[in-house]
Amino acid sequence: MPPKRKKDVVIRSEDVGIEIDAQEDSGSEEEARRRARNRRAKPSPRRAKRPVSDDEDEEEEEEEPPRRKGRRGKAKVQDSDEEEEEEEKKGRKKKPVKASNRKKKAVKEESEEEEEESAEERGKNKKRGKAPSKKEKEEQNKVKKSGKDKGSEKNKRKNSGKFSRCSILSSGSGSDSDSLSEGEMELLKEEVEEKKKLITTLRNKPWRMKRRLQQLKEAQAFVEKFEGALGKGKGRKLYAYKVMMAKKLIKFKRDFENFKTACIPWERKIKEVESHFGSSVASYFIFLRWMYGLNLVLFGFMFGLVVMPEVLMGLPYGSIPRKTVPRPLQETAMDLSVLLDFGGFMKYSVLFYGYYNDERTIGVLQFRLPLSYLLVGVGIFGYSLMVVIRTMARNANEGGDGTDEGDFNFSWKMFTSWDYLIGNPETADNKFASITTSFKESIVDEQENQKDENIHLRRFLRVLANFFILCTLGGSGYLIYFVVKRSQEFAEIDQDNLSWFEKNEVEFVMSLLGLVCPPLFETIAELEEYHPRIALKWQLGRIFALFLGNLYTFLFALFDEVNAKLENEKSIKNATITAYNEYYSNYSSFYNTTDVPPLDIQPADAIRGPCWETAVGIEFVKLTVSDIQVTYLTILIGDFLRAVLVRFLNYCWCWDLEAGFPSYGEFDISGNVLGLIFNQGMIWMGAFYAPGLVGLNVLRLLSSMYYQCWAVMSCNVPHERVFKASRSNNFYMALLLLVLFLSLLPVVYTIMTLSPSFDCGPFSGREKMYEIVMETIEKDLPAFIGNIFTYATNPGLILPAVLLMVLALYYLNALSKGYQQANLDLKKKMQMTRDEEKNRRNNKDSTNQVMKDLDDLLPNRSLIPPPEEEEPPPPVAQKGSKSPKLKPGSAANGKGVNLQKEVSLAATNPRGVVNRPPGPRGGPPGNIRGPQPGPGRGRGRGGPSSKAIGFIRGC
Amino acid sequence: MGSRASTLLREEEIEEIKKETGFSHSQITRLYSRFSSLDKGENGTLSREDFQRIPELAINPLGDRIINAFFPESEDQVNFRGFMRTLAHFRPIEDNEKNKDHTASEPLNSRTNKLLFAFRLYDLDRDDKISRDELLQVLRMMVGVNISDEQLGSIADRTIQEADQNGDSSISFNEFIKVLEKVDVEQKMSIRFLH
Repeated sequence: MPPKRKKDVVIRSEDVGIEIDAQEDSGSEEEARRRARNRRAKPSPRRAKRPVSDDEDEEEEEEEPPRRKGRRGKAKVQDSDEEEEEEEKKGRKKKPVKASNRKKKAVKEESEEEEEESAEERGKNKKRGKAPSKKEKEEQNKVKKSGKDKGSEKNKRKNSGKFSRCSILSSGSGSDSDSLSEGEMELLKEEVEEKKKLITTLRNKPWRMKRRLQQLKEAQAFVEKFEGALGKGKGRKLYAYKVMMAKKLIKFKRDFENFKTACIPWERKIKEVESHFGSSVASYFIFLRWMYGLNLVLFGFMFGLVVMPEVLMGLPYGSIPRKTVPRPLQETAMDLSVLLDFGGFMKYSVLFYGYYNDERTIGVLQFRLPLSYLLVGVGIFGYSLMVVIRTMARNANEGGDGTDEGDFNFSWKMFTSWDYLIGNPETADNKFASITTSFKESIVDEQENQKDENIHLRRFLRVLANFFILCTLGGSGYLIYFVVKRSQEFAEIDQDNLSWFEKNEVEFVMSLLGLVCPPLFETIAELEEYHPRIALKWQLGRIFALFLGNLYTFLFALFDEVNAKLENEKSIKNATITAYNEYYSNYSSFYNTTDVPPLDIQPADAIRGPCWETAVGIEFVKLTVSDIQVTYLTILIGDFLRAVLVRFLNYCWCWDLEAGFPSYGEFDISGNVLGLIFNQGMIWMGAFYAPGLVGLNVLRLLSSMYYQCWAVMSCNVPHERVFKASRSNNFYMALLLLVLFLSLLPVVYTIMTLSPSFDCGPFSGREKMYEIVMETIEKDLPAFIGNIFTYATNPGLILPAVLLMVLALYYLNALSKGYQQANLDLKKKMQMTRDEEKNRRNNKDSTNQVMKDLDDLLPNRSLIPPPEEEEPPPPVAQKGSKSPKLKPGSAANGKGVNLQKEVSLAATNPRGVVNRPPGPRGGPPGNIRGPQPGPGRGRGRGGPSSKAIGFIRGC
Repeated sequence: MGSRASTLLREEEIEEIKKETGFSHSQITRLYSRFSSLDKGENGTLSREDFQRIPELAINPLGDRIINAFFPESEDQVNFRGFMRTLAHFRPIEDNEKNKDHTASEPLNSRTNKLLFAFRLYDLDRDDKISRDELLQVLRMMVGVNISDEQLGSIADRTIQEADQNGDSSISFNEFIKVLEKVDVEQKMSIRFLH
């Protein structure tokens, strides 16, 4: 606050001070009595004892509710002047007390002098502003008085000097339209006044500089904020407006938060699943949702930058060979079976690579479609990589802080699990289920922690289990290898002689392995007796290895096919060129002219190559579709049908189906998660060859969300051992990252090494796909960028860059290790402090005395006005109020600190509180355990200092 | 200011409640109208049945305990003053209250009092200790029959073991405070009363 304003404030309070006197003169008899009583009551805290003769006052006070700090403050201030006189008369009862009191008084006088000075200084221009306001005040005063006359005894009491001052300051207080109620206004005013006083007298306070500065800052900020409430007319309105806006803003923020929560898709669904099946199952659905979000973005890229431009601005269907179904196939092109196989019109549609034209720019916008195609294809990987890594990093951060909450795991669940705002019975059911589940999770965790059996046996079993699993993996690998070899042999034989099984042997074996191996792994994993959470990870890892083998076998088979196609294409290309040349030479020799008209062939009749990219795309799309089918059918048959059978056949069956053998299915987390991850791998790999695949995947994830949610809620039962998913599902993410990397490899390989088809796709006619970038740099960008690019690709530059990156990596790694170490140390320290504290509490009787002594040694303790700790009422005061909560046991237990706390806590009865002298009272009860001054000496010092505050406090 | 309500509620009474609880004038009148709408018997007091009609309390496993908290010992009616006194525990701690309470008595909505309120919910026999049996009762209310008694017992044991510091195998209020030290009670045990 600028000094000018400060002075302004001072003047105003001075000004008001006059009014107080006038007001006090008009005080009723009642008031005088009160004052007298107060005079008597006041010294009591200093004596640390309440005189017994104050009985009548007690009675009187008991009549009124006591908890009003504002009023108490007022009362105190009211008599503070008299008190001073009184003290003079009474002489010195307690010397140290008196001394400090004196000091305060001196301080106060000094500040008053200052105030006067400043008032005189600025008198002139202030007076002009003051005059009208004074009138106003008087008017209001009158109003107030008239209102007061009607008021009851309590109102009269309030109209003691300080109160009237307050109400004067707030013009028209108590009017209904105010955004602040009267009570709040008063409190606020009191506060502001207090702060202002503090600001003016701060210089004289015997505090440390740091503390002073802090206090000053706080006070100034406060006054700045709330001063408007004291102003009149414009200031007040502005303040009211501000308060209103602040409230509106808070409400808006709250609504916005709610809105944001409501906008999270499927939050309710997932919560419902979580409450019944535990966090591990829910983690799958959260992962699914995350995946959906990612795919939506990828779809946006693909659709907005590749598909839409081609559809809108590219050549229409049927204009060029690559966009036309060949004539022999046209008859069956619309057959459903062909379409379902992604042949016919589907093959020559915008969904696949081959449809795109190689024109450098299309449409009026000069959109560079081939470049865009390549960039989007690579950008999808870049974006996914970024998102996955960012999510992993965030998860790692989140996981970091949750480690130390294990202290009161059960207690927290016990005391804080119910959500008291639930009003809907269904939600309540969910909450019940989720509390139960979370308890079960904790029990499992706990059991795992307490387990200690034969460690050698366990180790042996684990080694054995891993051996079995390695055997299984090896066996399945060999089986796939064998089948692929056989299929290559079959490929050389005529296709017509092969049976259906022989044709589809590879797929069949793969599906069989995928179906049989995971349960086998699970059975073997029983041997290991890991915690379910860890077992899930092992299971995931093993199935992952299996799937990976399948995937890469598939890829190698695909590459064989691609290479064959490339050979085939070369011959077709040569044949086409020869045919053209023949046509040209024949034409020119026949008509004897060099002006040869271009060959007029219908696009449907053109000779075309095999277009391996589209073929690969179709493979991926087919695979994805078959994956969807298998997944959905498995759920339908394996879960739904089973559940239906178990449910209804149970009425007429010889054993209990529900509890016995088939039972209901459990939700297979590991299988589903891995299915999702591998599916995503397919999408990443296939998206480059089939832009429509991303859209298909979005549909799949969307339907899968609803379908699986329904299936899990209706047909599955929770796992026998519900366990809590690790807070960060970074394991899923790590698998995803690996798959992303693995799917990146083949795509990048094809972009960099294989030559694109000569007659289809956006890169046709170029030697390599990436040449489109070079072309753009050369033709479309200014020359110097090309130069820069040439320099940048120079090995002399790249090598140092790589070196630099390696160095940075090393440095950052070292740094993070250092932080980790520091983190660990800090944790240890915290634990140690906690233990220490616990020890201290356990034998506090012995330490308490020491603490007290230490307390006495603190020099400026008595001068710090707000005692942080809770000050108990003096024991004698407790006589009046009953304290039934104080049990002998607890009293004996904590004679020192504990006793006080218990007493003060027990005094919920408001009447009991009234009896307390207006000494220092509990501030924020945060630091309850902190050292507290003993009742004797501590109190003796507490009294005057608090009085001083009361004095400073003003209104 | 709530003309309908204030005809029934005398100004002095409002003032007293204001002092006692720290609610603002408009909040009191608003809560009074709520009070009277709950009061089906229209006799100026609320009975346990009146509270049980509130859906949030009806489905709450600890609902009975909360309702009990409204009633002073061995009474089954609560008047508006008592009603407000209990509600005052849930008044949010405002910014300007945090640093000004040095001279006043501890308000009902202080952290300690909020915690004490919560503590009493679990302390069924009001002996200022949460015993194993009390925990078991509460647990049974919260999870029903879904967990076996044995497991419930072990949960209760674990809870006490975690929280107990002086080895009397029950949780005292101090220990309760210690357990919930890191919980943001000020915020969680606050209701946004409309102004």
